[in-house]
Amino acid sequence: MRFRLSDRQVGILFMLPFLITAATFIVWPVAEAIRLAFYQYNPLRPHDQFWVGLDNFERILDDPLFWESFHQALVWTGWSILFQTVLGVGMAMLLHTALPGIAVFRGLLLFPYIVPTVVIALNWRWIFNSEIGIVNHALLRLGVISENIAWLATPDMAMASAIVLNVWKYTPFVIICVLARLQTIPTELYDAAKVDGAGAMRRFLDITLPMLKEVLVVVIVFRTIWTFNKFEEIYLLTRGGPGTSTFNLAVYAFEEGMANLRLGVAAATGVIMIVLLLVGTIVYVRVSGFGREEKPA
Amino acid sequence: MDVRLERLSKSFGTNLVLKSLDLTFPERKFVTLLGPSGCGKTTLLRLIAGLERASDGQIFFGERRVDHLTPGERNIAMVFQSYALYPTMDVAANIGYGLKVRGIPRPERTEKVGVVARVLEIAHLLARKPRALSGGQRQRVALGRAMARKPDIFLMDEPLSNLDAKLRATMRGELKRFHLDLETTSIYVTHDQLEAMTMSDLVAVMDQGIVQQYATPEEVYDRPANLFVAGFIGSPPMNFAEVEVERADGAPVLRLAGRTIPAPAQFDLAAAPRRLVLGIRPQDVRMAAIGEPRAIPGTVWMTELIGSERLIEVEIAPKLRITAEVKSEIRAELNAPAAVAFDAAKLHLFDPGTGRALPRRA
Repeated sequence: MRFRLSDRQVGILFMLPFLITAATFIVWPVAEAIRLAFYQYNPLRPHDQFWVGLDNFERILDDPLFWESFHQALVWTGWSILFQTVLGVGMAMLLHTALPGIAVFRGLLLFPYIVPTVVIALNWRWIFNSEIGIVNHALLRLGVISENIAWLATPDMAMASAIVLNVWKYTPFVIICVLARLQTIPTELYDAAKVDGAGAMRRFLDITLPMLKEVLVVVIVFRTIWTFNKFEEIYLLTRGGPGTSTFNLAVYAFEEGMANLRLGVAAATGVIMIVLLLVGTIVYVRVSGFGREEKPA
Repeated sequence: MDVRLERLSKSFGTNLVLKSLDLTFPERKFVTLLGPSGCGKTTLLRLIAGLERASDGQIFFGERRVDHLTPGERNIAMVFQSYALYPTMDVAANIGYGLKVRGIPRPERTEKVGVVARVLEIAHLLARKPRALSGGQRQRVALGRAMARKPDIFLMDEPLSNLDAKLRATMRGELKRFHLDLETTSIYVTHDQLEAMTMSDLVAVMDQGIVQQYATPEEVYDRPANLFVAGFIGSPPMNFAEVEVERADGAPVLRLAGRTIPAPAQFDLAAAPRRLVLGIRPQDVRMAAIGEPRAIPGTVWMTELIGSERLIEVEIAPKLRITAEVKSEIRAELNAPAAVAFDAAKLHLFDPGTGRALPRRA
């Protein structure tokens, strides 16, 4: 007798590879991190872990470095998202025009996005190098500055440099999303607005921006989550320094876990980040009115 | 206010879309630009609206030259094929947008929008978004947007083509009514000759960037200026056949498929070339008894019932078929012998070289 599967069983079979992967690499690590947050755990003495209740969280909330990192994470995320969104929308609108040769730029657009972060971070370390970097060279030649700036060695400049890197790398993501939406806006809407007497600015504010709202909500949520959690760009560019001036929560967690061998504290930091992002996202999506659809008559 | 075009040309790259048009749209008339797709009619409308710039020539609204003005400065209203309602604004905001842009304060705006909405019977829809409206309702909002502005010129670009056939018939009447109430010069673009014939005071039949004929619907139908207009206007299309002019006892006659028919008196054949194209509308062809004098015999090639009428195609010579539109009671057997006849007064004659209709006697 042949072995037969029902449609339901076939469906489950098709989903199984994904479910197993997700369970192994997402669900289990997150669950383990949440468990660890309530334990003291030194990876060098793996059998020596014990329940400490909320001690890890108390320790974190009492740690001035956590608050400093939190503050810097907000600066890092806020400025990155602001510049990415504004630049992304602006450049998407530029790329949406029918200027000759614009297609080449559309093709080049994804370049920063597909190059591995390690390569980018190392390149930008050279670019920002205070002695031989091209940024100082260019600014000196242009007469904007009179002596070399230690981009990665002064606290504010290091943060600014990291933000520049992040904006450079992820603006294309915003451009792609916005451009895709722009291409679906019927040109007749702009014609109608012109006939109604609306100038370029009004057309942007009254037609383009409202039509971009939904995609911008999604893009900003995703970019905020990714940027807030970002570790490798900062770490590879500045290692959190000079001092702790470019620590964000991800770098803080890494330092606690890997350098100070307090994995429980690192895990608790992660849990705090999850809660912050979850609450922030829910509030933002609610306030922006995303997904509120009118039902057709 | 009348609209005057002088030597208006438009090209996109090397593609000449409009070729030096001279056209006047008289004040308060409903004028239709009719033609097949690609004839330049929509481009012409967009030039009048200011959404495109002319390559050459001038546009006047009354005495005012407008080709350098933006669409907003021309005080026009336009209804688009897709209606182009602003999807993120509700109906009230859509209708009032032109007023808002012109800085008219909110209370006045609300009042004007309310008046327009009551006239168009969409007052109960003011808070809806366009996607929650039916096709007919969207059409009315688009009209409302035009109406609220009190435009000098009212432009419409195939506004009925997205509606189903039944609604289209109703909206034709409403649009004409709307034009009369608005008391503006209306310019209407369509490829549908029925719309052009039923609604217009004047029809400009366009092809290949040139106005082929500009006249009343009756004139365009009864006295087409050339072969293009003759073939484009009328459904089913006009029958065409090559004829030769001959003289019999001093009077000119036409040789059609080996038969002689008297030359129509309305045309002056004095200066006509020997070969001509004869045109006759299917509605002007009747089925004749075989053997009837002056009837042209042939065989029935195809019949089609189209409701109260029937189309009978009769082959009167190899590859030469004449379609007659007759009452549906008249029946014809396929491949059976039959004969067609027509009134010489209804004939059209064209010069095959120029395509133009022969001059008519005054």
